[in-house]
Amino acid sequence: MAKQSIYQNEIENLEQSKDFLKKSEYSKIELQMEFKKLVENYEELIDQVKIITKISDRLQRKLNKTNDALESSNIQLNDLNNQLNETIDQLTEAKIGRRAGTIVMIIVISLFIVSEVFIEPIIDDAFPDNFWVGLGLKLVVAILIKPGEDFTNKYMLKQARKKQLAESKAKEAAQPPKPKKRRAF
Amino acid sequence: MDNLRIEGTKQTPEIDFDANTGILKLSGRSIPENTFEFFNPVLNWLDEFSAQAPDKVIAKINLEYFNTSSSKYILEILKRLKTVLKDDKDVLVEWYYEEDDEEMMETGEDYEDVSGLPFEIISIEEE
Repeated sequence: MAKQSIYQNEIENLEQSKDFLKKSEYSKIELQMEFKKLVENYEELIDQVKIITKISDRLQRKLNKTNDALESSNIQLNDLNNQLNETIDQLTEAKIGRRAGTIVMIIVISLFIVSEVFIEPIIDDAFPDNFWVGLGLKLVVAILIKPGEDFTNKYMLKQARKKQLAESKAKEAAQPPKPKKRRAF
Repeated sequence: MDNLRIEGTKQTPEIDFDANTGILKLSGRSIPENTFEFFNPVLNWLDEFSAQAPDKVIAKINLEYFNTSSSKYILEILKRLKTVLKDDKDVLVEWYYEEDDEEMMETGEDYEDVSGLPFEIISIEEE
């Protein structure tokens, strides 16, 4: 066990002193020599304990400081991430709003053409003296433009958010943490 | 005598000890699971090196972080360098620390005091 310890030398010194104590007889000189050696070893061990404890405490402080800095960076990173997400959301909403407006406009133009070409002649035949019916139909189409645009907008936004969520999850899973690079001499 | 070269990992430092030039480099992070297993060959190499060291020996130590048991082994390394100094050889320890790393600078000063070796505490800019 002693051979595998970081205190290998110190344990060996202690064992030597213990062996000395097992002797049945020893002279005053031998005793003095052994005691002197023991005191010297003890003094060296105390010096080592003092310095190792001091260094260990200091490096613990460094570790704590690094942890605090890491925590603060995480908070900043989260804030920036939230800001970025908000901006992306706003941009996505604006982009989708424009696209929804275009889609609704195409539908309205198509409905107008269909009504003018196909429905209007039928209405004219059915109600030859009442132009209000044709006008009413066009009014209904006009009233439906805004709710139609809102519905299309909401639907497209929901789909875009689902897609974004799936993409960010895939990115998180693919990125391993980067180790810090140490500067060379 | 062969040189000693050990690649650094996330937990163990890089060792590059050149017996011919007398330049001994120790750098990186030292938090091995088994410090004895890592440092014992290093100390054995230094025991052999002490007996046949060139006239000038420079130890370049650039550590980012090390655990308590590694601090004991650094002390042991410095003790071996002290035996080289006692043989009337020129020994210098260059202790590197990143400019904002106050703890590592103070640690170098402590090792300087306890080892009695000539130290040069050198600040390096962060990358």
